[in-house]
Amino acid sequence: MADIGYVTMVMALAVALYGTIIPHLGVQKNNWNLIRSAQYATIFNFFLVALASGILIHAFLTDNFRIFYVATNSSSDMPIFYKITAFWGGLDGSLLLWVLVQSAFAMVVAFRYENSNRYIIPYVIVVLNIIIAFLLTLLIIWSNPFALQAITPSEGRGLNPLLQNIAMTAHPPSLYLGYIGFSVPFAFAIAGLIRGKLDNEWILTTRRWTLFSFYFLALGLILGGQWAYEELGWGGYWAWDPVENAAFMPFLTGTAFLHSVMVQEKRNMLKIWNIVLIIVTFGLSILGTFLTRSGVVNSVHSFTQSEIGPFFLVFLGFTLVIAFGLLFMRIRMLESDHRLESVLCRENTFLAQNILFVGIAFTVLLGTTFPLIAEAVRGTKLSIQAPFFNTVTAPMGYALFFLTGVGTLIAWRRSSLSSLQKNFQNPLIAATLGTIVIAIFFARDWQPLLIFWISIFVTMTIVIEVFKSTRIKAHQLSTNFGMAFIYVVMRNTRRYGGLAIHLGVVMMFIGFAGRFYDVEKDLSMEPNRPIALGKYQLIFKEMQEFKVRNATHRAAIIEVYEDGDLKEVLKPAKSFYPTQPDPLTEVAIRRTLWEDLYLVLNNEDSARNLVVIKARINPLVGWAWMSLPFFTIGVGISMMYRPKSLQIRSEVTGRRYVPESRHSA
Amino acid sequence: MSWRSLKFWGVMLVILGFIGLLAFGLTSDPKKVPSPLLGKMAPDFSVTSLDGKSSLKLSELKGIPVVLNFWGSWCPECTREAPVLEAFYQRYDKGQNKVRVLGIAFQDTPSRAKAFAKRFGKNYFLALDDDEGSIALNYGLYGAPETFFIDPKGIIRFKQVGGVTPDLLLEQLESML
Repeated sequence: MADIGYVTMVMALAVALYGTIIPHLGVQKNNWNLIRSAQYATIFNFFLVALASGILIHAFLTDNFRIFYVATNSSSDMPIFYKITAFWGGLDGSLLLWVLVQSAFAMVVAFRYENSNRYIIPYVIVVLNIIIAFLLTLLIIWSNPFALQAITPSEGRGLNPLLQNIAMTAHPPSLYLGYIGFSVPFAFAIAGLIRGKLDNEWILTTRRWTLFSFYFLALGLILGGQWAYEELGWGGYWAWDPVENAAFMPFLTGTAFLHSVMVQEKRNMLKIWNIVLIIVTFGLSILGTFLTRSGVVNSVHSFTQSEIGPFFLVFLGFTLVIAFGLLFMRIRMLESDHRLESVLCRENTFLAQNILFVGIAFTVLLGTTFPLIAEAVRGTKLSIQAPFFNTVTAPMGYALFFLTGVGTLIAWRRSSLSSLQKNFQNPLIAATLGTIVIAIFFARDWQPLLIFWISIFVTMTIVIEVFKSTRIKAHQLSTNFGMAFIYVVMRNTRRYGGLAIHLGVVMMFIGFAGRFYDVEKDLSMEPNRPIALGKYQLIFKEMQEFKVRNATHRAAIIEVYEDGDLKEVLKPAKSFYPTQPDPLTEVAIRRTLWEDLYLVLNNEDSARNLVVIKARINPLVGWAWMSLPFFTIGVGISMMYRPKSLQIRSEVTGRRYVPESRHSA
Repeated sequence: MSWRSLKFWGVMLVILGFIGLLAFGLTSDPKKVPSPLLGKMAPDFSVTSLDGKSSLKLSELKGIPVVLNFWGSWCPECTREAPVLEAFYQRYDKGQNKVRVLGIAFQDTPSRAKAFAKRFGKNYFLALDDDEGSIALNYGLYGAPETFFIDPKGIIRFKQVGGVTPDLLLEQLESML
């Protein structure tokens, strides 16, 4: 079976190479049949990669430990669910997953846009196939998931128990979906540069891919944060580790791209900038994979490191040089026909917002690679930690957050001072009053207060905007507010979807503000003796042992009381896995709207009948997670939009160019 | 040169510089943390071997280079380097009497360490760090495995963080002789 898997990958590589050459020939010879054959090749390619993936999953399900990759990432005692997800638990399998998704996307793109983007689609297929061919080459030569070992071990090494968590099974694929999704707009941009067709169509066409990628990168980052929070037991969710930064950077530039393309769409400006942004975003996703897998920067994440680093580097260099080379070749075609008309306009907020996004991305990149620079120049080893990143990115983050509100109410082209005053007066007053109340009753420090101020301001701008349009609509249609609201949203899905996402951003920042007030204490607890922590009284009852899936938990049973009422029984524990020599920490969390009570079993002194519990109170953490439903709804609403012009064109060219074979059929 | 082509070469230079920097990163190992112990006398210790049959004091080994390896049965990288160390021991310690190879297990239990040694057929001198892990503390361990190369005068010449390779062992042995 393993041999079949390997042969399938080699065949897929052959098909991908076919797909990189044939569309070009088709364009040269003006023969659409050749291009059509490349379209069908994408289906064949997807089929082959899916077959290889199926074979690998089958090997996991049947505990085929002769395959080295299965033996190192699975064990027979693991639940079936984790056996399947172990597929992408290591480097080789995750590369295979990447190719699988990439080839699925290539297939969809090759057929979906054959009419609406007829002129450039051959080269879109070429670019996507080059990426697929690169990944398959890596898989076949350096990172074969089907490699066998001489001796079949009786038991596998098992998936790291830390990774046996629902959030963690979804985290890598969703980051991959995000990274890979950005390859679609990238491919359209490059195809446009090659063909010299540089209007705004590639942006309209790939709008939904951009949203899709943005969403999955955000989802991946949030899931990763939740995983760190629930599994690692240090009480936080973001540590500015190089591996986290690697995933964060393409998210930042991708989000900048998501916004700046709107300026091109509405005002025909920033054309060069948009191409630069998508090239950089795609480059950063490759860089991210390189950083995580090559071991050039020191990270707490113990990824399996491998020899593929240099090849990723070569690919990154190749991509950037070719892409920027093409951009310079066509740069005259891209120079803007419009100038900014006024300082006070939405274009400028977008511009500022873009500079901030890219500024943060650059800071993160600098901080992540600075140890390398220092070593190259001075030969000294140093490491850059969270304080640097927090200090430098926080002000930019706040400014960005503030612009979220400004962008909502300011008009395109030009705004008069008086209209600005009218629009911003109420949100600003509400924000200031709200912050004063918070300052009096709860908080003093300037950073969280600033976050609360901006949060209220942004929320008010959105609420007022939605309320105004709904009231007008309700009046026009003489209907009730509910119907009018739905009507307003459906009439402009992109705008209101975006506003829903912005509400999610507000949630996230409120969650960040909670970080300034967390409390951590080490509690030595004797049985049945209550200890007070914040508004809680904690009572340690006894130690218990129980089975959870394939692990044995040894837990401290702790009752949580609030004003004498028993609220919850928490069971922070150490867990013992059959394949792991050392126990792992199992955090117990009581989640409420305002704060989380977070307990970690640090130590057990059975001689003195004591347990040492690390207890944390994390205010407002739950709000950061609440951003996810807003993102989901917002992106869902925005995705409903499909540009009319493209729909019409798709129909017209579709009718004009129906291939002969379809006629006869 | 026009302004535009200047910009073009500027961008290309930045790209190549960045790629060059990352390529440089590939050649250096972030785990190679310089130890303040380099060039200093190796902290002394006495241990009893895992099988309980013999004991050893480091300072009594003067006059012969020592390869001091810290390991643990819990460390995956140690399983990879175990055969390398054993082969090195067979050839240069037992075979030619040019070097002493010592393995100190830390944060480990006697039974687990013994099982590990048996599984990988380790024959060189193995011992367990004491309960407080004082040897590991004295050597300022960063993780496991770590290997110190101590010259015949008892001075630490090199430290390897992470697994050793046959080439590295040989190269360091030659530089100490």
